[in-house]
Amino acid sequence: MKKIPVTSVTADAAVYSAEALRLAAFVFSDKAEAVIKPVKGGFQVSFRNEAPGFHPGDYFNEALNQQCRLDLAKKNSKAAGMIATKALLSAAGEAGKKA
Amino acid sequence: MALKKAAKRTEPAGPPQLLWRRDGAECLVTNDFGHYAWLKRKDFDLLLAGRLGEKHPAYAALADKGFIRDRLDFDGLAAKWRSKNAYLNSGPGLHILVLTLRCNHKCLYCQSSAAGVGSKDTDMSAATAKKCVDFAFQSPNPGITIEFQGGEPLLNWEALKAAVLHARAKAKKAGKDLRLALVSNFSLMTEEKAQFLMENEVSICTSLDGPADLHNRNRVFCGGNSHAATVKWLKFFQARHARQVPEYRVFKPSALLTVSRYSLGRHKEIIDEYVKAGLEDIFIRPLAPIGYAKNLWGQIGYDAAAFGKFYLESLDYILKLNRAGVTLREKMASMMLDKIVNSRDPGYLDARCPCGAAIGQVAYNYNGDLYTCDEGRMVGWEGDDAFKIGNVRQDPYRKVMTSGAARACVLSSNLESQPDCARCAYKPYCGVCPVYNYETQGSLWGDMAVNDRCGLFKGTFGALFAMLKKPANEAILKKWVAK
Repeated sequence: MKKIPVTSVTADAAVYSAEALRLAAFVFSDKAEAVIKPVKGGFQVSFRNEAPGFHPGDYFNEALNQQCRLDLAKKNSKAAGMIATKALLSAAGEAGKKA
Repeated sequence: MALKKAAKRTEPAGPPQLLWRRDGAECLVTNDFGHYAWLKRKDFDLLLAGRLGEKHPAYAALADKGFIRDRLDFDGLAAKWRSKNAYLNSGPGLHILVLTLRCNHKCLYCQSSAAGVGSKDTDMSAATAKKCVDFAFQSPNPGITIEFQGGEPLLNWEALKAAVLHARAKAKKAGKDLRLALVSNFSLMTEEKAQFLMENEVSICTSLDGPADLHNRNRVFCGGNSHAATVKWLKFFQARHARQVPEYRVFKPSALLTVSRYSLGRHKEIIDEYVKAGLEDIFIRPLAPIGYAKNLWGQIGYDAAAFGKFYLESLDYILKLNRAGVTLREKMASMMLDKIVNSRDPGYLDARCPCGAAIGQVAYNYNGDLYTCDEGRMVGWEGDDAFKIGNVRQDPYRKVMTSGAARACVLSSNLESQPDCARCAYKPYCGVCPVYNYETQGSLWGDMAVNDRCGLFKGTFGALFAMLKKPANEAILKKWVAK
């Protein structure tokens, strides 16, 4: 049986959370299959079925983007949630109505 | 409310929330209330350190704009924020009815996913058109705009007529402020149709891509000369606008410019064509790699830098014409300037936070399917219904507005949740597009650090702020948005 080539990269847990790596894997699901396994001090990310032009660095850029978003949510989620809720309730004609 | 007296402190207080961007020896500072100021680097450092004293020449202006912590006029600033973001309270105002997917043009960049003239199965029925109007009137927004699009909407005249009459009758009963708009290539316009549209106060918009050779290259019309028909009917509606009648109001026609690769380098000819056609506004719109245009990107597309250069050259030329007494405004710049200079929302749904998807606009496909926006509908036509929010015959209004796609677009286009945007100096005036992000970067959130649309907006804002620094330009640009 022909062995499928696998690229593996280790991600430092000080920078990347498992959630950010998973979110990036969804974004890149049409370009490569990413398998994420916890290892000491981080995660091992292995890529299979890579599409032509796929580069692991692009995946890690996206993971970093997702990590920044998660970090930002910890600070801004209250304000962001108020804006989104207000916009949706107003659009639905529910603004100002009592629950 | 009276300004607070500066409190005595032992430690200097830093500034309240502000956003900033370095530009050579100066810094642009902005805040969520929409105020901005240019500061020299050393003054910016003083502001950050809380050491910009009351005697400093910039202190009073910065205090008025909400940049000095101890001098915040909370009521005034909150009112400013509320008025700038008033759209958060109103619901969808723009309702785009795609009356048919058929079109007699084969434009190189066509995003509207046009079908051949014979494909009548992609026509909206008059009954569905009326249902769409009924649905639009359920929006809590006191003012709604119904825009008729296609394909070429004049190919489905009966549905257009039915929708116009139904909407006018409904507006009378509902007491809503109703605006009707038609986007047409004019190739099927007749005096009879024009008369009906004017009598029902339907505003008219067309596409004009520049001089005949460029326009006809972009906008291929097998049945004749697209440019000639466009110019002929622009003149017709301008003449009728000039001699108003007491019974109804005739709007001045407007035109949209779509910039393809073939337009680059020809900004002067294009702008001169607009002036020649008697138009006072030009809306310089970049192509977006969405829908049909995505497949042809290699042939007709360009990157943000190429568009930025074209846009800047165009703005410079328009300002030069303005100085020579010619009236012409660039629409995108006008809308951005309205936000920057007047802290007003010009209703530009692409640059709102959250974006206009569903909460500001709804696109109605020929079969009654509802999408977050017209761009979302185009993605749907390519076989991906990620942005479908319901169907006008099946789903109640509230369900549509709280659908998964609507919520996802609101959340992902909220700049407070976008890593790069949350601290960008242009945040108070900008907005992201989840459909663009989805199509180009594979997720609704996108990655702004490498997002071409973001690059394009940053370039535009950078150019406008730089122009506002020069008093001669500032006076002209402020006139564009003076009301």
